[in-house]
Amino acid sequence: MGRLKWLRAAFVLAFLILLGKLWQLSILEYQQYRELAERNRIRTIPEIAPRGLILDKEGRVLVDNARSFHLVLFREEIKDLGETVRFLTRGVRIDRETIETQVRRARHYASYQPVVIKEDLTMEEVSYLLAHQTEHPELRAVQQPRRTYRYLDLAAHTLGYVGEISEQELKDNRFQQHKPGDLIGKSGVERTYNELLAGRDGKRLVLVNSVGRTIEEIGAIQPVSGRELTLTLDLDLQLVAEEELKENPGAVVVINPQNGEVLALASRPAFDPNQFAVRLNEQEWERLISDPDDPLQNRIIQSTFSPGSVFKVVMALAGLEAGVLDPETEINCRGGASLYGNYFRCWKAGGHGRVNLRRAVQESCNVYFYLLGQKLGISRIKDFSQRLGLGLPTGIDLPGEKVGLIPSEEWKQKYTGQRWYAGETISVAIGQGPISVTPMQLARAIGIMATGTAPAPHLVKESKTVRAQRVPLPSPDFSDEHMQIIRDAMWSVVNESGTGRAARVPGFEVCGKTGTSQTISQSARARLSKEQAERFNHNAWFVGFAPRDNPEIVVAVIVQRGGGGGAVAAPIAGKILARYHEKHQNDRRTLQVAANASSAGDPLMQ
Amino acid sequence: MINRRIIGHFDFFLFGTAVVLALLGVLGIFSATIHGGPDNAFLRQIAWLGVGIATCLIMVSVDYHFLADHAYFFYGAAVLILIAILFYGTEINGSKSWLILGGLRVQPSEFVKVIVVLALANFLARLNEDYLKRHHLLILSLITLLPVVLIILQGDLGTALMYFPILLGMLAVAGLKVRLTAVVLLVTLCVAPAGWFFLKEYQRERILATINPDMDPQGIGYQTRQSQIAIGSGGFLGKGLGRASQSQLGFVPEIHTDFIFTLLAEEKGFLGASIVLVLYLLLLMRLVRIAETARDRTGIFIVSGIACLLFFHALVNVGMTVGVFPPIGIPLPLLSYGGSSTIMTFAALGLALNVHCRRFVN
Repeated sequence: MGRLKWLRAAFVLAFLILLGKLWQLSILEYQQYRELAERNRIRTIPEIAPRGLILDKEGRVLVDNARSFHLVLFREEIKDLGETVRFLTRGVRIDRETIETQVRRARHYASYQPVVIKEDLTMEEVSYLLAHQTEHPELRAVQQPRRTYRYLDLAAHTLGYVGEISEQELKDNRFQQHKPGDLIGKSGVERTYNELLAGRDGKRLVLVNSVGRTIEEIGAIQPVSGRELTLTLDLDLQLVAEEELKENPGAVVVINPQNGEVLALASRPAFDPNQFAVRLNEQEWERLISDPDDPLQNRIIQSTFSPGSVFKVVMALAGLEAGVLDPETEINCRGGASLYGNYFRCWKAGGHGRVNLRRAVQESCNVYFYLLGQKLGISRIKDFSQRLGLGLPTGIDLPGEKVGLIPSEEWKQKYTGQRWYAGETISVAIGQGPISVTPMQLARAIGIMATGTAPAPHLVKESKTVRAQRVPLPSPDFSDEHMQIIRDAMWSVVNESGTGRAARVPGFEVCGKTGTSQTISQSARARLSKEQAERFNHNAWFVGFAPRDNPEIVVAVIVQRGGGGGAVAAPIAGKILARYHEKHQNDRRTLQVAANASSAGDPLMQ
Repeated sequence: MINRRIIGHFDFFLFGTAVVLALLGVLGIFSATIHGGPDNAFLRQIAWLGVGIATCLIMVSVDYHFLADHAYFFYGAAVLILIAILFYGTEINGSKSWLILGGLRVQPSEFVKVIVVLALANFLARLNEDYLKRHHLLILSLITLLPVVLIILQGDLGTALMYFPILLGMLAVAGLKVRLTAVVLLVTLCVAPAGWFFLKEYQRERILATINPDMDPQGIGYQTRQSQIAIGSGGFLGKGLGRASQSQLGFVPEIHTDFIFTLLAEEKGFLGASIVLVLYLLLLMRLVRIAETARDRTGIFIVSGIACLLFFHALVNVGMTVGVFPPIGIPLPLLSYGGSSTIMTFAALGLALNVHCRRFVN
């Protein structure tokens, strides 16, 4: 029958279509399907490497890791996102929006890349997830070490915090070893030494069936923990510094001027970096960034202040080194001086009477330094300041350092288009006017003046693992005699009837200088209400070192809007120095005894 | 009834092709159940294959005219059994289409396919006209619809749907005038969208998912998508026996029954899958040839009906695995695991062999 031919034709045609479709799938689109099949069956479970511990100089743990579980979503496994969300909101403390935000944020990442939905699950949440693993293979509780800052907000700006790598950072070469979702150091030494601390994540490759159950492990790369990082910080001093600053906005820097080791760095108000280890919610973040005192700001290196009267010791050494100052020559302070047609006041209305260098430093006489400023001129002040590293980066191993400003004629011309007025030099001579430095810079400058050496300040000792690129300042080559004069003058500030008596530590020869810098000009201040005036109160400074000979420790304290340096900042420095002395006097005594014993035991010496 | 002349005309090519396909099926079932599934499924399938071949030989031995003459009797019995199942049947996988006889699960609706082919062939053979008339069409449709309705009532829509293409194929062979063809097509086109409303939600979704498998890869298009991944990832030569990760780790469902072609394609690649398809096509071509050389109209209609039956099953099943048909849950005859299907297929082939053997006999 002829009609059967049509049947035959229909059969052949249909089979050709099937063959064609088969060809398309397994030949033309082979690569694509092969990858899909591989991803289907092999699941990569990340094994997060714990970050290295951070220790203080005596090996006390400042930062470690706690066992913690993250909730991770495998997007490829999602059958119904709505159902997944409902399931989660029933048993896990998380809201719909957060889940959706996390999923949305990850939309540009490869679909097999797991998305972290929530950090730090409670044990109840983990068991809820485990109990429903079969129904929800798309969700998994993954163990991830959580960064733990043992002393909460202690040294928060220095230690820094960790957070999820941003899209911006992913493009950065420094973070090329990282992948989306990784936690990296966001600030502080966590960031500077991120590569060292981060370690290398491992992973387990497991063969899973269609319901996500593991059939067998087919490979594993063990995670490599991050390296331990020992800081130069001394927890004891850090504790005192934080405790003494309390909630006053301000900063404390403690360094060893002989080798540049940073012993304590406090910046207040601070934040609790533990909060950043889990995702901050909107309100917490909002609160942190809208706080007028800006707790995220690292005042040690990111805030610049007028040095105020502290700058007078810089001026004094500059005068001596420039040969324009005889330390014994007295000037007469009558409470002010007329210079360049303006009357500049001394802070002591009645005047200091006849003062030489030592008394001028001790009592912080303005007039003495007005006249010195006049002699030196802005150009020499600037050059000398820069020899001390003022207005230059200190190169400390913390991110985001600001440089501040030491003014000059060129600077003014360039930025304001106006000529430098000689009168402005007079303000700069007492650390006011357009001069601003960071507490870190000031501490280093005092250290250089006290020791004559200029090591680069740092938080981590250079070692095989840490290759720091530190650029120390050129050796200042100050005359020993001049340095001795400054040290003696600063000693008298604390130990005679000077402005820094509150920093005195019995048995420890503390030298220092107070400062009270205006945050705005007198005339502007007069226009403010009382409340505003309070807000724009003076910054209190104390910068000092000890002991007088062979100084071992430099302390710089600034309390913002704190009032007088002698009253507010000096006692804080005193407490820190006392704590240092208490810790180290035994060492010194032992050394002394040893020295005596060796000389006593030497028959030739007798 | 049997004599040497008849045996001398036995079509070893058709029989051999069928047995080779069935053995490939056994191999596939073996591989499909390595990682779970029913125990010893391949051994049982070998047993079913034995029963199937025996049935086939029995079907050869009885003159097909006798079977055709009694087609309405078989048909009546089949309808009664289908009705009985509505009351006494057992529900498996959502359809109440099974009878449990002495521990064996039997799906009578499989056998009813052959009986309906026989009944339709019998009716068509008795007409001595070149083209069908309207009332013939009506009667043929009713013969088909009665079991279809019963099977739909059992909840086995996929099996029920397979009756229509068989009817259409046989109508085409019997001859339809253009005007009547148009009517048939028109009715089909009208009934099909109306049928949409009778479908269950999941059935509609399956149809939508076939049109666009990427619509929701984890949801309704899941089976189709996973099957395509399995087949595509097999490549040209396949992943090798027992190494079909997609199929064997459970991403593809029902790999020993409805999706056995997927497993074969993943394991044995394009090459293996096209060998299966070519064998199938050879089998079908041979059936058409047998129909062409049949002695009488009865033989022609029986064999072309059987050819259509096997053809549409293969087309829809393979089409479903590669994603051109929605997964409606019908087996691939000769390859899929299942006693009823295997025995039905061999019985049908037995009928065709029967016609072939008796093409010269008076």
